[in-house]
Amino acid sequence: MSELARRASAILWKDLVTELRTRQGFSAMLSFAALVLFLFSFAIGPDTELLRRLAGGLLWVAIVFTGTLSLGRAFQSEEVAGGVRLLRLYPDDTRAIYLGKLAANLVLLAVLELVLWPAAAILFQVDLLPHALGLSLVAALGTFGFSTIGTFFSALTVHLRARELLLPLLLFPALIPVILGAVNATDGLLLGDPMGRLGGWVRLLGAYDVILFVVCLWIFPVVLEE
Amino acid sequence: MSADGDTGMSGRHQHALRLAGLTRRFGRRWALRGIDLEVSRGTVLAVLGANGTGKTTLLRILGTLLRPTAGRAEVLGANVTKHPDRVRRLTAMMTPRGYAYDELTGLENLRFAARMGGGAGDASAHRTALARVGLEEAGDLPVRAYSTGMRRRLELARLGLRSPDLVLLDEPFASLDEAGVELVQESIARWRDAGATVLIASHRLAQAGRHANRTVYIEHGRIVEGGPVAGTTHP
Repeated sequence: MSELARRASAILWKDLVTELRTRQGFSAMLSFAALVLFLFSFAIGPDTELLRRLAGGLLWVAIVFTGTLSLGRAFQSEEVAGGVRLLRLYPDDTRAIYLGKLAANLVLLAVLELVLWPAAAILFQVDLLPHALGLSLVAALGTFGFSTIGTFFSALTVHLRARELLLPLLLFPALIPVILGAVNATDGLLLGDPMGRLGGWVRLLGAYDVILFVVCLWIFPVVLEE
Repeated sequence: MSADGDTGMSGRHQHALRLAGLTRRFGRRWALRGIDLEVSRGTVLAVLGANGTGKTTLLRILGTLLRPTAGRAEVLGANVTKHPDRVRRLTAMMTPRGYAYDELTGLENLRFAARMGGGAGDASAHRTALARVGLEEAGDLPVRAYSTGMRRRLELARLGLRSPDLVLLDEPFASLDEAGVELVQESIARWRDAGATVLIASHRLAQAGRHANRTVYIEHGRIVEGGPVAGTTHP
C-alpha cells in the first residue's frame, strides 16, 4: 500500500470508528432524511402518478440535504481534537487528508442511501429492482460528485463562524451539474427514456465527477493553509 | 550556500535553525517582528517570554502550521514555506491544547498517529510509549475520560514514537503535576542525548532552563536577549 493510501485509510478508519462510537450524528441524519421524504410525500398527496414522476428529484433533494448535514461534521471532529491544521504536523502529503475524509463521507452516505432508496421506493411507489444495476451506477456517480465537492467545501468553511450557513451557500451552486445529471439519469431509468438522453446524463455526471475530483485534490493543500 | 540551502541532506547542515527577518502579522497586530536567529544542531533552546509575545507563533511557523508574513526560516536547510513536507519529516511538535481524538482510546490515538507517519506502528511499541508516560492503565480508555494532565502525557507518548531532528515544545509543562513535569524533563534529556535540537517555549526559565544550554527572550515579537542560560536576566 502506498504512503498516501495508508494515511488516507488511517483517516477513514479513525472517522468511521468515531462515528460508530458516537452514533448520534448518523442517527440524526437518518431521521432527518426519513422526515424529508415523508414531508415530500405528504405535501404531494395521494397522486401516485405524480409521486412516481417526482421520485427521482425528491430522492436526490433528500440525499443532498441530509448529506450536507454529514459534510458539516466531517472536519468538526478535527477541531474538537485540536484543529484540522494539526493533521498537517504529520509528514504527509495533505491530499491524504482529503482522500481519507472523502472516503469516510462516501461510506456514510452509501449506508444512508441503502436505507433511503428502498424507503423512497415504498413512499413514492416506484419499482427499483428492474433497474437496480443502472440505478446503482447513477447513485454511485451522484454520491461521488456530491462528496467530492462537499468534502472540499467542508474543509474550506470549517474555521468560519457562519459555516453552517456558508457550506450550503457555496455547495449547492457547485452541485447543480451533479443534481441535474443524477436526477435526469434516475428519471430516465425509472420513467423510461424515449428521447435516448440517459447515456448523455450519465456521461455528464461521470465527466463532472472526474473534473471535480482532480480540481479538488489539486487545490486542497491550499485550503489547509493558515 | 544558496538562500534556501535545500540540499535535502540534513546531515550537511550545521545549523538546525536559521531564521532571517522572520515576521508574522495577524491583521494589524505584529506577532513577530524580524526575528534573526541561528541555532546549532543538538541545542536545547529555551524560548522565553510573557504570554502573547510571539513564542507560539514562532513555533507554529517552524512546525509549518503557519506561514510567515515575511522573512525566511530554515529547518536543517529546508525552507519551511517552500518545502513544508521535508520540514515535517524532521520535526515533532507538542501543542498547548494537545492533539487527541476523544472517541478513540489512548492506544488507538497512538495507532492513528503511527499510521499517519508519526512513528513506530506495532501495538507493543504503543504500549511501551504509554507506559513510559505513566498511562499503561489508561491505554484502553477513551480519551474523553482523560484529565488535561493525562492528555498532555498522551501527547508526550505520541512524540515518543518518533526520532525527530527538531522537537518543538509549546508550553510543555502546563497542566502537569510534578511527576508529569519530570516526564517532560526526561523526554527533553532523551532527545538531547539522541542529538535532536529542542525548542521549549515557556514563560518560566526555572522549568524550561533545566536542560537548556541557551535561551532567547522574546518581547513584543522581538528577541531582546539571548545567550547561555546562566546569563539570562529574565525570570
